[in-house]
Amino acid sequence: MSRLAEVLPRRLDLRILFLALALTAIGIGMVVSTTAGTPRADLAGKQIFFAVLGLIAAGVLLAIDYRILLQYSPGLYGLTLLVLLWLPMFGTRIAGAKSWVKVSGGFQLQPSEFARISIALLLAWILENDDRALLRSRTIWALAAAIGVPVILVMLQPDLGVALTYLPFLLTALFFGGLPGRWWAILIVSGTLAVGGSWFLLKDYQKDRIRTFLDPNLAARGAGYQVRQARIAIGSGGILGKGWKQGTQSRLGFLPVRHTDFIFAALAEEWGFVGVAVFLALYGSLIARSLALARDARDRGGSILVILLVLNIAVQALVNVAMNVGVMPTTGITLPFVSYGGSSLIATWCMVGLMLSVAYRRYVNV
Amino acid sequence: MPASAREDRRPVLSRLDVVARGTWILIGVLAGVYWVHQVLRGEEYERQAENNRLRRVPVTAPRGFILDRNGIVLAENEPSFTLLLYRRETKDLDASLRFVAELFNRPFEDLKRRVERDRSYYDFVPVVLQENLTISEVGAVQARALEHPELVVQKTERRVYTQGTAAAHLLGHLGEATAEQVAARAKARPGDPNPPRPGEAIGQQGVEATYQDLLSGVSGSRTYVIDSFGREVGESGHESPLPGNTLRLTIDLGMQKIAEDYFADRVGSAVALDPKTGEILALLSAPAYDPNLFTRRVSRSEWEDIIENADRPLNNRVLQNVYSPGSAWKPFVAYAILTHGIDPKERVFCPGGLTFYGRHFRCHGRHGSVDLTTALQVSCDSYFYTMGKRLGIDNLAEAGNLFGFGRPTGIDLAHEKNGIVPSTEWSLAVRKHPWYLGETISAAIGQGPVLVTALQMARGMSGIANADGALPTPHLFHIGENVRTGERFVYRPESKESIPYPPGAHETIVEGLWRVVNMPGGTAYASRVPGLDLCGKTGSVQVVGQKEAKKGHLLPKELRDHGWFASFAPRDDPKVVVVVFVEHGEHGASVAAPLAARLAEYWIAKSRGGTPELLAEVAGRPLGRAPARAN
Repeated sequence: MSRLAEVLPRRLDLRILFLALALTAIGIGMVVSTTAGTPRADLAGKQIFFAVLGLIAAGVLLAIDYRILLQYSPGLYGLTLLVLLWLPMFGTRIAGAKSWVKVSGGFQLQPSEFARISIALLLAWILENDDRALLRSRTIWALAAAIGVPVILVMLQPDLGVALTYLPFLLTALFFGGLPGRWWAILIVSGTLAVGGSWFLLKDYQKDRIRTFLDPNLAARGAGYQVRQARIAIGSGGILGKGWKQGTQSRLGFLPVRHTDFIFAALAEEWGFVGVAVFLALYGSLIARSLALARDARDRGGSILVILLVLNIAVQALVNVAMNVGVMPTTGITLPFVSYGGSSLIATWCMVGLMLSVAYRRYVNV
Repeated sequence: MPASAREDRRPVLSRLDVVARGTWILIGVLAGVYWVHQVLRGEEYERQAENNRLRRVPVTAPRGFILDRNGIVLAENEPSFTLLLYRRETKDLDASLRFVAELFNRPFEDLKRRVERDRSYYDFVPVVLQENLTISEVGAVQARALEHPELVVQKTERRVYTQGTAAAHLLGHLGEATAEQVAARAKARPGDPNPPRPGEAIGQQGVEATYQDLLSGVSGSRTYVIDSFGREVGESGHESPLPGNTLRLTIDLGMQKIAEDYFADRVGSAVALDPKTGEILALLSAPAYDPNLFTRRVSRSEWEDIIENADRPLNNRVLQNVYSPGSAWKPFVAYAILTHGIDPKERVFCPGGLTFYGRHFRCHGRHGSVDLTTALQVSCDSYFYTMGKRLGIDNLAEAGNLFGFGRPTGIDLAHEKNGIVPSTEWSLAVRKHPWYLGETISAAIGQGPVLVTALQMARGMSGIANADGALPTPHLFHIGENVRTGERFVYRPESKESIPYPPGAHETIVEGLWRVVNMPGGTAYASRVPGLDLCGKTGSVQVVGQKEAKKGHLLPKELRDHGWFASFAPRDDPKVVVVVFVEHGEHGASVAAPLAARLAEYWIAKSRGGTPELLAEVAGRPLGRAPARAN
């Protein structure tokens, strides 16, 4: 124990921890700002509670050797699929989607958020077992299936936003696993066809989102309203912002879903470009530092696991930031660490815990 | 782990570098996008955010009162209630509208259409469902306020014309500013700090329109902070409206009422003015309408009564209708005679008509040998035929133009008609054919193409009443008063025109006009008032020859002549000019002169400091037709 106390600070990556804590604190601050004085003022307290739970979960995952988790990943994954299969039939319906499981105390869990962890573990396990320079076809199909099945199950809930957060896993796995050139060609062609074809499968409101993304002025009060109001919020923040809890767009309700999907617009309104730049620098540092940890990981499995996790967070964050300012369509992807949401925050902290676990065990001689 | 485990990770490591660099580039690009919106276009978005947040609601200024010259209120404001529907608060639109439809006994579809019309607006902008609620209707709405929170009664002000129909045409009325009016004004006055808003009540006719800016004041505003549901969260500032100025008119309500009473069952017009200043003392057009109809709810039948009335009550006959002057034209012909070297003592023999250019022109009597003064007194057509022929149309036109005919008088009311003073030039320019000499004979007694308004007649008569020949500009504006500062401003348009009289000419014409009323044989002798020294000229306009007369189906009344009486009093130092015109009144002497005499008598009594009792006695004396006499 005395040895652990001596080793822990040296091995625990404090930079990741502090960056993640800083982003979480900013998130709590923005949840306070966007909900204070409204009937949802209790959300800030809940978010703090979730952050504490997240930290505890991260500590637990740090304590467990990630290699054990990788070994058990097929089982964890199978369990996850069972839950995702159960949800569309028996899940609790909130806002039109059966994505939730009731937990005592009025809380609901969103298993699809936690599913990301077991998917990442399974992918890392698959890739660890195929360590050639280029992936075999069998492995490629295995990776595609490992992601495809949960994507389909989550879309059945239906929750397009969360399903979309699984897709970066596939690209990351293929890119870092080493995909042969002809497979990239197939991927690009089929991807294009899928995007084109899915237009016919999309719901009207989803089509509207894409149309209004292409032209935000399409309808002042209609579907383009959110994008337009978010842009006004961001732009009116100017260089220094209006100050914490002073954002008129956010506080007066012009900014839609301001404590979740559009929380970054609220941040941009209240803290201005300076706040945006600081925030992006923090996020960038977190990503860069995590990628550096992947480089130093002890084995291929750990390395791939960290890459999968950090890029999953990174893609969500960048897509959300881009969506807030209207350079990408509104997809319902939240901003990890910052957007209000217990499952998302706890799951994200679990991912931090896993990354810390890999970093902690980067030296062979422990 | 074997060392080879590190070896096979080399491709992963190089890909990590790509991803790390790519991430920073993406973050940089996103920061750039935020830079564009927040720094480069920040101000534009800030304005949009303010527009979102702040709702500026204009507050209409209290409109200035309109008074008569003695301070009696002609137009004021009273509280009025408007029913608004807030769609944002509406749970069941049809239920709300059914409630309103039942309460106001209005078709449900009407209300529905009204709401539909405003669909395109933001739904936090209320829809005006009903204006001018009665107190009991306000109560009925308030009683159901809990059930219908979407219905709100708003207190506003409404214009009230206290005298009803008495001064309808000169006051005018208010109406919603049309988009065209707003645009036209914006064009006429760029940068106007107080532009009218579409739908705002502005003066549409009469002095309400002429002095819109003076009466309207300057609207203020309240700026509310609203949330995205349009709910008021707070007030961020307000600017008080500046009330409109009080407008005191030159009108004397007492005279106006005498004229109104007289015209209760007649059609025509009357105008009285001060010949020296041009101040209009009375201006009446009959039939009139109640200007309050335009600010209250006009029922369909009331509106149809106005629009479909053959006598066209909306017309201001004093300045918008033109008529032949008939014999009332003769004083101006007399001026032409006196200024073209004809001796007023020269006599013409009237055998009851004369033949010119092969056509017989009748006179209404056999006047024997008459000179100018007598010709005016008895209104001998033969004399004026003869002299008109000798002068020629252009000399007659010159005199007519000199007295202000053929062009607007410059009164402070819109839509004034020009009338026609025919001349050879006019004939070629307008009718595209030369003047026929025979027409000169008719024109000499005010028939033929000559057309004048009653107001032009009053202004021309002022040029005869005033010994110096001054031709005043008729006006209704007397005194404007700033209700806050008490500052008063008077506007008196200067008379820039005057009639040059050769020695003796003025006295000759006035003598003739005095005899019309005050000498036996004068055409208006029946309307003489002792001590008044009323001077005037009667006129009758033959309706035969007008379009209706040519049609076969003539109604008896339409056959009758129009009657003129143009007058002033007293003979020396005139105080008042009165012109009365009665459509189908047969003879100016019988229907027009009695009212003119009464109006003159009233004003002279008043200007001599007559007691209210005396004035009431003058105003209240019965007034009937005078015995008919030809003119």
